[in-house]
Amino acid sequence: MTFFALFCIPFIVGATLMFLSVVLKYFSWLRQLPTSDMILIAKGIFTPRTLSAVWEIVCESLLHRRIFRRNVVLGYMHMSLAFGWFLLIVVGWLETLSYLGTEWVPLQGHVFFKYFVPLNGIEGHKPLFDNVMDALLLFVLSGVTLAWLKRVRSRLMGMRRTTKHIFFDRIALSALWFVFPLRLLAESITCAIYGGGGFLTGNIGTLLSQHIDADVLMALYEPMWWMYSSALGIFFVAMPFSRYMHIFTEIPLIFLRHYRLRPAAKTKSYDNFEIEACSRCGICIDPCQLQSQLGINDVQSVYFLRDRRYNMLQQKIANNCLMCGRCEAVCPVGINLNTLRQNSRTTMRNIPNEGRYNYLRGIDLSQGEGRVGYFAGCMTLLTPNTMSAMQRIFEAAGEKVWWADKEGSVCCGRPLKLSGESDSAQKMIDYNKSLFEKHNISTLVTSCPICLRVFREDYDLQGIEVLHHSEYILRLLQQGRLKVGYSAEQRYTYHDPCELGRGSGIYDQPRAVIEAVGILLEPKHNRRDSLCCGSSVANTAINDAQQLTIARSVADELEATGAETIVTACPLCKKAIARGTKHSVSDLSEIVAKNLK
Amino acid sequence: MKHIVIIGGGIAGMQCAVELSSLGISATVIEKEHATGGKLASWHRLFPSFTPAEDVLGELRLKFAKAANISLRCGVTATEITPRKVTLSTGDELECDAVVLATGFTLFDARIKEEYGYGIYDNVVTSADLEDMFNRGEIVLKNGNKPRRIALLHCVGSRDEKVCQRHCSKVCCVTGVKQAIELKEMFPTADVFNFYMDIRMFGPGYEEMYREAQVKHNVHFVRGRISEVSPTIDGRLQLKAEDTLTGRPLKMSVDMLVLLVGMRANEENAELAARYGLQCQESGFMKPQDNFMHNVESNVEGIFYAGTITSPKSVGETLNEATTVALRIKDWLQKQ
Repeated sequence: MTFFALFCIPFIVGATLMFLSVVLKYFSWLRQLPTSDMILIAKGIFTPRTLSAVWEIVCESLLHRRIFRRNVVLGYMHMSLAFGWFLLIVVGWLETLSYLGTEWVPLQGHVFFKYFVPLNGIEGHKPLFDNVMDALLLFVLSGVTLAWLKRVRSRLMGMRRTTKHIFFDRIALSALWFVFPLRLLAESITCAIYGGGGFLTGNIGTLLSQHIDADVLMALYEPMWWMYSSALGIFFVAMPFSRYMHIFTEIPLIFLRHYRLRPAAKTKSYDNFEIEACSRCGICIDPCQLQSQLGINDVQSVYFLRDRRYNMLQQKIANNCLMCGRCEAVCPVGINLNTLRQNSRTTMRNIPNEGRYNYLRGIDLSQGEGRVGYFAGCMTLLTPNTMSAMQRIFEAAGEKVWWADKEGSVCCGRPLKLSGESDSAQKMIDYNKSLFEKHNISTLVTSCPICLRVFREDYDLQGIEVLHHSEYILRLLQQGRLKVGYSAEQRYTYHDPCELGRGSGIYDQPRAVIEAVGILLEPKHNRRDSLCCGSSVANTAINDAQQLTIARSVADELEATGAETIVTACPLCKKAIARGTKHSVSDLSEIVAKNLK
Repeated sequence: MKHIVIIGGGIAGMQCAVELSSLGISATVIEKEHATGGKLASWHRLFPSFTPAEDVLGELRLKFAKAANISLRCGVTATEITPRKVTLSTGDELECDAVVLATGFTLFDARIKEEYGYGIYDNVVTSADLEDMFNRGEIVLKNGNKPRRIALLHCVGSRDEKVCQRHCSKVCCVTGVKQAIELKEMFPTADVFNFYMDIRMFGPGYEEMYREAQVKHNVHFVRGRISEVSPTIDGRLQLKAEDTLTGRPLKMSVDMLVLLVGMRANEENAELAARYGLQCQESGFMKPQDNFMHNVESNVEGIFYAGTITSPKSVGETLNEATTVALRIKDWLQKQ
């Protein structure tokens, strides 16, 4: 058998172009990886991590477990398309194998098997395959139906908003939508003419042959296969340049991620794998408070990644993000959205000024002596109630403290890093690091989650344990060094600061501290799902009125708990929420200091 | 006889009632406190002439008491306001021909600017607290000593986006200079500093007073906002600021810090707007029809504004405006 017909050309051309583009892309990205990343791959490739990557690929790329956990219908839709199509290919290949043995069959022979081998009356007909293939086709078609439905009523799948697609995506999307219905029609007409087929194509074929003239069917036969092949061809050509590139890219991404490759403060070739693994599913849109509170519709991670991928990223899009991490928490692909945003900003803005921070050299405004160092951070210096509460707590615990910045300090560096000035930030990091090391402390306590995060992630402080004051206070309570009075009359609610919760994984410690002094009432969104106060230092684009709108919505939710006092553990959140509420807003340290025994 | 209900018994409401009375129109003034006079009642002296507030208020109260056809309801609030009828918290209903809203402003709560330490550290006071101290004739530090170095900080809660107060409160600059002079008069050997962004001396005699503060009283002026305040070991206050004229950061220890708190729109303004179809400005103050020929008329026929309900104003401007409202009302009633 030759396994060639003219109508195969669109498919063959499309598949070849797709294959070439994908291979070229991956090859060039891998080749440009920095040596350190290459070493990580070499170290990881022959370890069990490769196997666990394979397992994750099955779970996520095929079964879409994470989306299932979010919404069952949405999960089913993604799974039926991905896993269904995958099975169609695998079972189709087994089918040819079972009929033709080990004879070499070109790709189009597998894909258009029903065309080349109309299966009826031929020797050894295997109706089981017909039925399995039909069942799989139905499975995929159910996903396509849901995808159509999602365009009309996305709320059925738990999504308030879906992505606004660009032209190329629309072409690919339309082609994809047509692939499977056209396949159904082409195969059914073939069955109508030649007989055979499973419960789906076979029955539709019988129906068609009963109601439509044989001449008409014959006239439709070739064009239908042409259309099916063309839909596939168009989809394949569009795929590497559209959102569907994620279908393949998630696979190398999962491997690389298991080999511990991560995006960093500066852009690198690895970022491409993350960026092109974005399917633009739009799950990141709903959690975005810029969307829900301010109606800003073009800055969300899906649009940011798209713009970055096509080299059309504008600063105003890159800068307009709270970096609260709510989108990152729900991203089904697990893309490091905040880091990518931050390193984009660095690419666009980083203009190191060598002389600008020379004055830092030799400055030391610190006071006191002790193994425990306290770094208030600039925002805590602007909320002196927190500072004085910490002072009382240290005194009550009998802790000798080295005060790093009571008399003023150099910024921790994170605000500059987030705004894209990584090199300037590094100067501050170097300065503070040498200051901490000079004073020989073993523990560094800070009240500011923004500082905490940069201390932990970028400072590399050897021999110094970095603690947020919530962790430190809890430790004092557990060790019995601090005694507080409990009152069931006092009801508190707690706002999770983004940098502390999602950013540093500290959810339980502040809650335990609150429960030591009174009753804790949880707001609707809490922990990993908590809202951002709106005043994030990461956003330099929105104005104060917009920050206030977000703060009010957050305050409303906190007030709705019925608690008298709103507690948070970040000076910036405290200031932000206080603007949006009439309730009293306290830092965690304040309620502890107030209830000291 | 036509009858007007005036909401608010501060100087705007009182003056308006007096002027209406002289035009042969009767008025009822509704005051939520138990006495008239509003914020002026707790003020000591007025810029730029250092006239005792008591003198101004005393004369106004006298005229108010003598005027015919004015009634006063203290300790009540208006629960429902329409141009022809006002319902009081007591349940009484007052029929009328027009309503004047003269509910004034709210002082900015300095605790919102936590970095200045009001309510946290000793000897951080607001300009209103200082007037109160002047009234009592006694200005001492918490430890009983006399202050030797005092700083006044301008624009607390004014022209400050961080607390959503973009507008200029207009009177604090002049008040700051006035209070600096008064402090210098009480403590001639003390150093008195004004930290400012701009000094806006817009009225008659203001610029002269500003010059006098520098030349005669040796009051110091530093252009730059204070960024934060912290206590020192010896119980003083350490200020951090930037002297923007020399372009250098600055640290200074003082005994006392006076925060010149701004005027904030009343919280109720938004509710008034929502309930009665009135309009608010971005600052939260009510919006008159325009700034020129209809500057005391609201967008609702029969509802007028007097005084600081529409924007920060000085005492003199408020009194003038209250007179204007009375004349406009008379004019409007005749056209009806």
